[in-house]
Amino acid sequence: MKHLNMVMLAGSVLFAAAIAGCGSSPVVNKEASTSAIRAAEESGASNVPSASLYLQLAKEELENAKVLVAKDEKEQAESMLSRAQADGELAVALSHGDADKKEAIQAIERVRQLREDNKLPQKGSIQ
Amino acid sequence: MKPFIYLIIIVCIGVLVGCAPSIPPTELINARQAYQHASAGQAAQLVPAELHKAQEALAIAEKSFQDDPKSFRTRDLAYIADRKAKMAEAFATTAAGNAATARANKDYQTTQTEIMKNTKQDLATQTEIVKNTKQDLAMQTEISKNTKEDLATSERSSAVKTEQLALEQRARLDAENRAAVAQADLAKLAAVKEEARGLVITLSGSVLFASNKSELLPSAQDRLNQVADALMATKERKLTVEGHTDSQGSSNYNLELSQRRADVVRSYIIARGYPSDLIEAHGIGKDRPVADNASAEGRANNRRVEIIVDHAANYHQSMDK
Repeated sequence: MKHLNMVMLAGSVLFAAAIAGCGSSPVVNKEASTSAIRAAEESGASNVPSASLYLQLAKEELENAKVLVAKDEKEQAESMLSRAQADGELAVALSHGDADKKEAIQAIERVRQLREDNKLPQKGSIQ
Repeated sequence: MKPFIYLIIIVCIGVLVGCAPSIPPTELINARQAYQHASAGQAAQLVPAELHKAQEALAIAEKSFQDDPKSFRTRDLAYIADRKAKMAEAFATTAAGNAATARANKDYQTTQTEIMKNTKQDLATQTEIVKNTKQDLAMQTEISKNTKEDLATSERSSAVKTEQLALEQRARLDAENRAAVAQADLAKLAAVKEEARGLVITLSGSVLFASNKSELLPSAQDRLNQVADALMATKERKLTVEGHTDSQGSSNYNLELSQRRADVVRSYIIARGYPSDLIEAHGIGKDRPVADNASAEGRANNRRVEIIVDHAANYHQSMDK
């Protein structure tokens, strides 16, 4: 009886391994694209109109890549992931650009306000 | 024959289609445009490294297009090249923003320094104004003090003047009283008559002098003493002593005799204390008779000495003395 159980266990393990081996998708590295998407989200890309579009595209491309992986089209999946990574990185860049632009506008406004409060002529203004 | 011709046409078309250049995919067209746009903008100056990456990505895509124009790989590489070009522009925007922020922060510091400088200048100006105001105030206080002193001095001067006026008035009243008393006394001693030229005191010549003489008779001295004493009460007035004679004798003789007699009376009155500068003596002679020289009584009246007391008193001269 005990011997039978051991045989059944070994069989189950072999069966499971066979199932797993037959059903698993090809190994595709999604790390770079998911990292780019995460970075874009953390940079607030979804709140920046110009960046949110590319974030959305990156997410869709990631999903497409997953579908391609599921279809065992590894090469296309990797290429699609490259698109997702590129869109994610672009979303980050646009998000940062927007923030830096806003910061510059605020800094300039701060100077303008300071000069106005102290009744100094504005830079570039005609005397 | 016809099938053969169709075959040749089909083969030619096939050859043409095969030799024609491939149409680039939309992704590659977009990538080319994106790179041109980025390289024409500020990316070339601000982020040349990122623009170079975009250029490399586009080159890879172009190479792939040449090798395999219709492959998904070519489209994806072009897509990535497009994104690289856009990223270069985004990084340029970031760099420009950072530069603007840095400039603004520098401007802020410069402005603060300018404000501090202006504040210091304003403070210095205010200090100067306060200093000047204090000086003005001190000057005003000094002026006020001097004005008060001037006012006090003026008040004292005014009081002195008032006192002087009162003294003068009192002196004038006293003099007038003395003159009235003297006039009354004189009226008892000699003929006194008020005329336009003054108070005329007439002393008979026979009482004062012997005939043809100019020396006072002893009896005349008492009379002259009394007259002189009465005149002393009015010694601030100008006196004129006039000698008169009758018509007997020459004019020159009478003139000289009358002058000598007038001089003697003047000297006597001065000797009694009357101010010498207020008394004059004139010999008139026989020119102004007061009675008829035909009769002895008339001639006696004409022989006379007149003392004319001037109306106007010289109070100040008197007070000074």
